[in-house]
Amino acid sequence: MSVGEIPLEAAGRATGRAADVVLVARCRRGEPEAFSRLVALHEGMVFNLAARLLGDGEEARDVAQNVFLHVYRKLGQFEGRSTLRTWIYRITVNQCHNRRRWWKRRHKDKEEPLDDLATGPNAVFLADRRPESSPYDQTRRSERARRVQRALLQLSFDHRAVVVLFEIEGQSCAAIADALGIATGTVKSRLARAREALRKRLSDVVGEDGQS
Amino acid sequence: MRCASIRRRLSAWMDGGLSPAAARAVSAHLDTCEACARRLAELRGVSELLGELPRLEAPESIAQDVLTRLEVETRGPGLGMLLRRFGAARPFIMPSLVPAALVLVTVLSAALALDSGDRTRLPGSIASWGVIPARGTESNPVFPSAGVGLPRERDGGRLDEEVLLAGFGGGTLFVETVVARDGTVSTVTVLEGDAERAGPLLDALRQQRYEPARYRGRPVAISLYRLISHTDVSLPKI
Ligand SMILES: [Zn+2]
Repeated sequence: MSVGEIPLEAAGRATGRAADVVLVARCRRGEPEAFSRLVALHEGMVFNLAARLLGDGEEARDVAQNVFLHVYRKLGQFEGRSTLRTWIYRITVNQCHNRRRWWKRRHKDKEEPLDDLATGPNAVFLADRRPESSPYDQTRRSERARRVQRALLQLSFDHRAVVVLFEIEGQSCAAIADALGIATGTVKSRLARAREALRKRLSDVVGEDGQS
Repeated sequence: MRCASIRRRLSAWMDGGLSPAAARAVSAHLDTCEACARRLAELRGVSELLGELPRLEAPESIAQDVLTRLEVETRGPGLGMLLRRFGAARPFIMPSLVPAALVLVTVLSAALALDSGDRTRLPGSIASWGVIPARGTESNPVFPSAGVGLPRERDGGRLDEEVLLAGFGGGTLFVETVVARDGTVSTVTVLEGDAERAGPLLDALRQQRYEPARYRGRPVAISLYRLISHTDVSLPKI
């Protein structure tokens, strides 16, 4: 057996958990580059999750900023038991939940859900990676995305969080349970109910042609 | 099973979350019941719709705003307090890394077992390491950097390779060793991996003896990091 020495940073690439620990430790030492990297690694995921949970790009951006400020302040509490990603998911979901409650109190009169992520002053860039598709296809796809987003916003927040983390963020039930602090069985039953509700609301979209 | 109870299980069935017996019962029902099969297709359609939602991206990077807000805080007393608290939060403190800086992480890999490389070989561009504070006490060790002479394992204090292979259960271990000023090992902390299975290896690490690390000629306590893995590690180019 021999021993090879490699840079810690390279080692971080070798295993995710070790990379997390190293990155967090560097942030704790007050290295601005390390924190920039932490933000850069996770901002896309935080923004997407917040935008899907809140249905509003401007709010999502605001929440994302708060998420990272919170992360910075609480780095001392990160123990490496969950992955950094799971920990940040948890913070994001909590911040969105608070935001949503606050928003509901302030806008009791407005029942209309915020569902228009792609147009208006709160426009966000839709990362459509299929530039080769025809304008017709693109239009249909974005119309479908709007319908799906609206249906998502009609779910309860708890159900929405589970279904977005599972279906969009690709997290396992166990990781979601960890992020939300609930039992895996609860994740599964919320997922089943959320899917069923979406199935009913999207019945006319589900069978549509061109869903590829 | 009746259709209603099958349908309650479809979501879990899709994700492979049912017991083998329950999964078989659902599968058998789906083969014969068109209505439930249609229901399953719809649920899969919902999954696909969600899966094909485009990723939403903020118009501009969020990082810059966050850093600006933090910088504002830094100028006040707030951040100074924070950093002091982080400083106290040992043993999580880790080496400071400038991009592509070199820190002592040792990859012990069975896949490299035939290679008789020099264990105490030091990484090349040590000069790229930043300046570190001259502390280096056991409770607050320094990390390898330009100004620190690295500790060397003493003869007789070296890790026995058989112990390594036998003592480490598998998977990956990420271990911090704090070498005290007298060259003894004061703590061994598993930062990642199964500490229980690695007991014998950790004991061996605790038994190690070093020539103390030196900073400006004075012996200091120092943290060493090892990533120990049985998996083949390809060394990235820097
Ligand atoms: Zn049936």
